[in-house]
Amino acid sequence: MDFEGKTAIVTGAARGIGRGIALELARRGSNVIIADIDEEPAREVVAEIQAGGTGANYCETDVTQQWSTDDMVEAALEGYGQLDVLVNNAGVGGAPGFATRKTPNIDDWQATFDVNVYGIVNGIQSVEKYMTDRGYGKIVNIASVAGRLGRPGFASYGASKAAAINVSQAWAFKLAPHGINVNAVCPGLIWTPLWQSIGEWRSSMDEQHAGMTPRQVFERAVSDAVPLGREQTPEDVGNAVAFLASDRARSITGQALNVDGGIRMN
Amino acid sequence: MKLTGKVAVVTGGATGIGRVIALKLADRGAAIMIADINEEAAAVTAAEIEEISGRSATFTTDVTDVETCRELAAATVDTLGPADFLINNAGIAGAPGWQERSFSTEEDWKRTYQVNVIGMSNVTSAFRPQMTERRSGRIVNIASIAGREGRPAIPHYSASKAAVISLTQATALELARFNITVNAICPGLLWTPMWEQVGDRYARDNPAYKGMTARQVFDAMIEERIPMKKEQTPEDVADTVAFFISDDAKNITGQALNVDGGFFMR
Ligand SMILES: NC(=O)c1ccc[n+]([C@@H]2O[C@H](COP(=O)([O-])OP(=O)(O)OC[C@H]3O[C@@H](n4cnc5c(N)ncnc54)[C@H](O)[C@@H]3O)[C@@H](O)[C@H]2O)c1
Ligand SMILES: NC(=O)c1ccc[n+]([C@@H]2O[C@H](COP(=O)([O-])OP(=O)(O)OC[C@H]3O[C@@H](n4cnc5c(N)ncnc54)[C@H](O)[C@@H]3O)[C@@H](O)[C@H]2O)c1
Repeated sequence: MDFEGKTAIVTGAARGIGRGIALELARRGSNVIIADIDEEPAREVVAEIQAGGTGANYCETDVTQQWSTDDMVEAALEGYGQLDVLVNNAGVGGAPGFATRKTPNIDDWQATFDVNVYGIVNGIQSVEKYMTDRGYGKIVNIASVAGRLGRPGFASYGASKAAAINVSQAWAFKLAPHGINVNAVCPGLIWTPLWQSIGEWRSSMDEQHAGMTPRQVFERAVSDAVPLGREQTPEDVGNAVAFLASDRARSITGQALNVDGGIRMN
Repeated sequence: MKLTGKVAVVTGGATGIGRVIALKLADRGAAIMIADINEEAAAVTAAEIEEISGRSATFTTDVTDVETCRELAAATVDTLGPADFLINNAGIAGAPGWQERSFSTEEDWKRTYQVNVIGMSNVTSAFRPQMTERRSGRIVNIASIAGREGRPAIPHYSASKAAVISLTQATALELARFNITVNAICPGLLWTPMWEQVGDRYARDNPAYKGMTARQVFDAMIEERIPMKKEQTPEDVADTVAFFISDDAKNITGQALNVDGGFFMR
């Protein structure tokens, strides 16, 4: 197993894609720190992983705060003595209530950049000295296919995800001589609480989707956009993260890999 | 992932990167069809595989010949069973004698396009029916970072590899509805017989590398252009092939992934 005896931090792992990533890493032998602002569901993920036989801890984390991501790294080192993998997954679609607005307001721009971009920067800044000293480390950032091409609608979200890809490249370049790989994964369409909000937003804002349930909106998006004709899953993203965070991907850095059934081809 | 009971076809699998891909997949249990123009080397590699997975076959193939490609597909079914995985790896850097020339000739353009692009299409078309019929299959095309950006050194080669990336996207879209994924890998700098010749050419034609040995040119390029400051290996490419053909990558299609130590980040 690729991650036997290793330790990973996954931010935003209380639910959705982050949970899927945490479970896939644990299944391959990793201890996992579940770093999230939302304690209750996070503790459920911890219990689920522990039941599978590897270590897991909850660390209350707000990725928009550097002190908080510092604490998260300290928790990993205290708990397991080493940190091998950081997955920056925490993300938001906008500020609270974004699904009720037709276009993003200043709070939405701020929130998406704080969490989706600055959250990644904070996470990396909290581990880079440790990983550089050690000469080893794997960082995977969760961007989005929305970051591959600008489109109207929630432009703030897409812009923040394009920035997430750019930030991944910047640190990939910086950390490459120190044996640290930094890559991004761009998920496509995955049924999570985040997508539930997007579905609500579309059915209330956009005539084409009027009267549809969020799940129906999602299914239409899948059938319209995904060449493989099926939705992607948190496990798919977890599997891609597990590859990029393994030594099998030792010569891959600075890349953004779409896990999207072919929606975008890069 | 265990590949026992699966059948993989590797074009250009007799030597170089293709040979290492074949050995890696055999090591996971797959039966391997080596389709190469070099009959003698193919037999040697096939014998090596017999020792690992116990099942291999060879079929002397010039990928530029449509009829031979059809015979290859039929021979694969007869000897090993229908192909689960097709690895289009056969490739050349120019027409015979290209390394002695300072400029691309029409022959270089024609032959390179014929093998690297049309040959890839020939083989893919030949295996298409056995994959679409079973509504499953994985195709991995070996492109190159040379295809990511036009460079003056060997323009015919770069252009052919850009075409491979494009062909990968087209094939991915075409075959998606049959549950077949098609992805490309862009290897970076690997010390193989091909690169030895590229290096000689640089040392002769590029003032910056005047008088160097091919290996010195190669090392200088790693230092200048590879953020990780390390050469890539056939093993790196083979590990990525193994990822793309695994269930872990079932929702990834149409992508081109650079395995290049961060040379190109897109
Ligand atoms: N669902 C999709 O289709 C999709 C597609 C592409 C990309 N993504 C990205 O994948 C990631 C996960 O998305 P999801 O769909 O699972 O979303 P989600 O809303 O279901 O889960 C996000 C998690 O992040 C946590 N979080 C939010 N802000 C945080 C903060 N400041 N600090 C720490 N944790 C915080 C939340 O508590 C939650 O547990 C996000 O970056 C998202 O943008 C999702
Ligand atoms: N070596 C590198 O640095 C590098 C970098 C990027 C991409 N690549 C690509 O990787 C692939 C393998 O390259 P390699 O370095 O192992 O080269 P190689 O020359 O060592 O191997 C190529 C194989 O393809 C076979 N072949 C050539 N023409 C053929 C034809 N018409 N029909 C069937 N088989 C044929 C050869 O016999 C040989 O076994 C090529 O597509 C190459 O362009 C190589």
